[in-house]
Amino acid sequence: MLTRAKVFASAVAALLAVCASAGEPMVGIPAGVYRPFFRGKDDAKEIAVAAFQLDAHPVTNAEFLEFVRVNPKWQRSRVKRLFADDGYLRHWPGDLDFGASEAAQRPVTFVSWFAAKAFAAWKGRRLPTTAELEFAAGAGFDSADGAKEPQFVRAVNRWYSTPAPDALPAVAAGRANFFGVHDLHGLVWEWTSDFNSALVTGDARGDSGLDRQLFCGAGSLNASDRANFAAFMRFGFRSSLKAGYAIHNLGFRCASDL
Amino acid sequence: MKRALLFVLCVTAASAADKPAGKPPCCREALPAGHYTDRSLYQLDSKWTSDVGREVKLGVLRGRVQVLAMFFAQCEYACPILVNDMQRLEQSLPAAIRGRVEFLLVSFDTERDTPAALRAYREKMQLTPERWTLLRGGADDVRELAALLGVNFQKDARGQFAHSNLITVLNPEGEIIHQQTGLKGDTAATIAALEKTVAEHEKSSAREGQNRVPDKNP
Repeated sequence: MLTRAKVFASAVAALLAVCASAGEPMVGIPAGVYRPFFRGKDDAKEIAVAAFQLDAHPVTNAEFLEFVRVNPKWQRSRVKRLFADDGYLRHWPGDLDFGASEAAQRPVTFVSWFAAKAFAAWKGRRLPTTAELEFAAGAGFDSADGAKEPQFVRAVNRWYSTPAPDALPAVAAGRANFFGVHDLHGLVWEWTSDFNSALVTGDARGDSGLDRQLFCGAGSLNASDRANFAAFMRFGFRSSLKAGYAIHNLGFRCASDL
Repeated sequence: MKRALLFVLCVTAASAADKPAGKPPCCREALPAGHYTDRSLYQLDSKWTSDVGREVKLGVLRGRVQVLAMFFAQCEYACPILVNDMQRLEQSLPAAIRGRVEFLLVSFDTERDTPAALRAYREKMQLTPERWTLLRGGADDVRELAALLGVNFQKDARGQFAHSNLITVLNPEGEIIHQQTGLKGDTAATIAALEKTVAEHEKSSAREGQNRVPDKNP
């Protein structure tokens, strides 16, 4: 018994060492099933999510500074307009300066999808898919199914109904979820690799139809879990994004395959 | 000798810019990167394969106006209409700009739309090789291009793709200058945008032409 525990402990230590060597801590998320919040009649009710690794917290200003230092083309004054709108890193006083020292541990925001993707690639990682991020975000404080934890649901709904503060809190300040991941709710919105997935299915309709489906109140009748206000908010938010957007309360974190 | 002959050929091709040369648009040489404007889609480094099996970057399309849509060959409903919309557009182009506008289809279906499948689609839809380019690419590259165009798409459980129906006009620099949304959309506005960009391009190339050597990358 003792031996088995020892083997387990050393395996954990080895895993932690691997994560630490790659930079910021990542957390293993076990395989599971994501039930899409909003789907058409031909969409799968359940999407299998393979086990993967996810950053324990969103990427910080300090981490992003390192990235732009090494990759000058992603500095604010040099970025191409195609890849980020003019909001890009506007909260930084300069190209290589994120301002006050307490900003170091705040999540980086005002980053476009392209910049987030480039950062992840530079780290040897990638952005999580929507299914992966939603699956991880579905966990509560004490179980993989947060919807069944009233305390968790209340905490989450409180955040989604409160406007973002001007100065964001530091990452990982809040309680980690069941998987050991911080800030999946309560800090910033996050980019996913496939944020631009379509919203209604069957066969496609015009864009105006998509918008109506999304924002009209009746849209939520197609939702798999009408009580899940937070999932609806995230869904609506993602669908309103364009890849070049760089805005105040939108950041990202990285994932990787196991 | 060979080089001289090639040069002659290039010059001939350049002077015949308004007449389709019988060569698919994707078979031209790309200009070196770094010359592209800040909003040019041609900055993308991704590689694509055409229905003639040629691997290209989008930059090869520089220099002509492109009418672009994303589609997939096995689409049952929307894409044939979308492609028909583009063909109607092609047919209704005013004579002055016909031959100066090219058409580009990029597939969502990274698995099934092989070059051969795209070739079959070209034949089925009777898309002229001189003006139409069909491309396929890797999943990440398709996702990125879609993101740039503002096209949303998702594969459903049957392997079909739900997607936005969007026709995009790129100017000769590869910048988005107009988008026609929905099926059977407003072609008049699109034609107006095409006429405007062709006219602007001619004006600027005429200006540049006075103090520049002939373009060796037609």
